[in-house]
Amino acid sequence: MEKTADGNYRIVVRRKMPVPRELVYESWTDPEGIREWMCPGDVISAEATLDVRVGGAFRIVMRGKERVHEHVGTYEVVDPPAKLRFTWAGLETPKEITRVTVEFVARGQESELIITHEGFSKGKEAERYEMGWGTIAHKFAGYLAHSPKPSRGVSSRH
Amino acid sequence: MVEYQHSAELDRVFSALADPTRRAILRAVAACPATINQIARPFPVSLNAISKHVMVLERAGLLRREIKGREHHCWIEPRPLREADVWLEYYRQFWELRMDALATYLVRKYKGAKKGGAHGKDR
Repeated sequence: MEKTADGNYRIVVRRKMPVPRELVYESWTDPEGIREWMCPGDVISAEATLDVRVGGAFRIVMRGKERVHEHVGTYEVVDPPAKLRFTWAGLETPKEITRVTVEFVARGQESELIITHEGFSKGKEAERYEMGWGTIAHKFAGYLAHSPKPSRGVSSRH
Repeated sequence: MVEYQHSAELDRVFSALADPTRRAILRAVAACPATINQIARPFPVSLNAISKHVMVLERAGLLRREIKGREHHCWIEPRPLREADVWLEYYRQFWELRMDALATYLVRKYKGAKKGGAHGKDR
């Protein structure tokens, strides 16, 4: 996670891919491909409708055992095989519209994928507050200062 | 920053916070640690119902409880909510999981039974 100069937050995920970038790009623009790789973990199936052109819309629905994750957005940059940029709104997450940029970098017979997900703005935390997140987190700020170090948590780092 | 190892943990946090009564309980306990009886007082539901909500929060790691005699004392465990960066963490994990799945998919599709030989020049 990074905080950008304008006070927004973004996530950058980089990953080496074992095939040339043309093929990786294709896997992002082919609904059949998306259906396959958009459903890891508890997701049982995924459906994708993609209109890959600037201004075109997409909709990806991932069905889990208990929940349905639905995401929609609009393509803003379509530059094969180097770059895709689209808006991203999760219908179950807070109502903020964020932006995802996917860069496909050639690395010989392989490639590297750089995903930048940004636009998690400070201003929009108001919406998180409504959901109770921020309110609680804020109240704890003072509490934290006096509380003993947690001996147990829900998370771990390996 | 908190790093979640399993999406199941994060899911528990999200579903625990999805309920307005549970959020109200958390807010109350955040302001002041309390017993289950004290927590239940302002709510128009049974003590049993509140007790179940508390259990859900406890399982999600958002609330801690200590039993002293017959009293259950509850207080907040703020760690899962610290910095309110849970959504960022959710999406970081979301993309990393999908990148793993994408790499697997590409290997299966283009490298198939081949033994690591360079393949898939261009289409």
